[in-house]
Amino acid sequence: MAGSKLQSFWNHPAGPKTIFFWAPTFKWGISIANVVDFSEPPERISYPQQVALMCTGLIYSRFSMVITPKNWNLFGNSIFMAGTGLYQVTRKIR
Amino acid sequence: MKILQNFWNSPIGPKTSHFWGPVVGWGIPIAAMVDTNQPPELISGNMTTVMCVYSALFMRFAWMVQPRNLHLLALHAANESVQLYQLSRWMKFRGFLGDKSLQQKNEEAET
Repeated sequence: MAGSKLQSFWNHPAGPKTIFFWAPTFKWGISIANVVDFSEPPERISYPQQVALMCTGLIYSRFSMVITPKNWNLFGNSIFMAGTGLYQVTRKIR
Repeated sequence: MKILQNFWNSPIGPKTSHFWGPVVGWGIPIAAMVDTNQPPELISGNMTTVMCVYSALFMRFAWMVQPRNLHLLALHAANESVQLYQLSRWMKFRGFLGDKSLQQKNEEAET
């Protein structure tokens, strides 16, 4: 039972053998890199980059909810990305 | 005129979300282009490296997705270029490229 579920995931047209899986999965790396950078001093934060990440994160959050099918992975990812961007901006403002 | 009409009605045209997603995404490469005028101390090695891999993956994604999204491809090609440039600036500054780093030169100048 579990075996066939795993198989259907593995062979899925948007599964781990395709770019449609890895590209969005890797997008989480951006938010993770941002979280790692929380420990950097705020002088090194780039306003344009963080604002860009924040805005694209917010807009993609909405975008992922209005497309069919709804893409919860992208939604979560975008919210998180926007959150890290916002946090970096507030760190720098302080 | 015909070209405009084809664009307007295209499956990746301005009536679709396939178009506006990348429009929004241009913020990232543009922000990076603005940052190329900043001193290299400010570059984050983590983020820049991640961006290089990310845009390479998404260039392939934009090519393979149905409908093929050349706008997204152009966006990530631009981002890839700018991020690779920033990465080279970062590497040069940190001394990964062999010649004496600017950081070392600065430190020596201060002492």
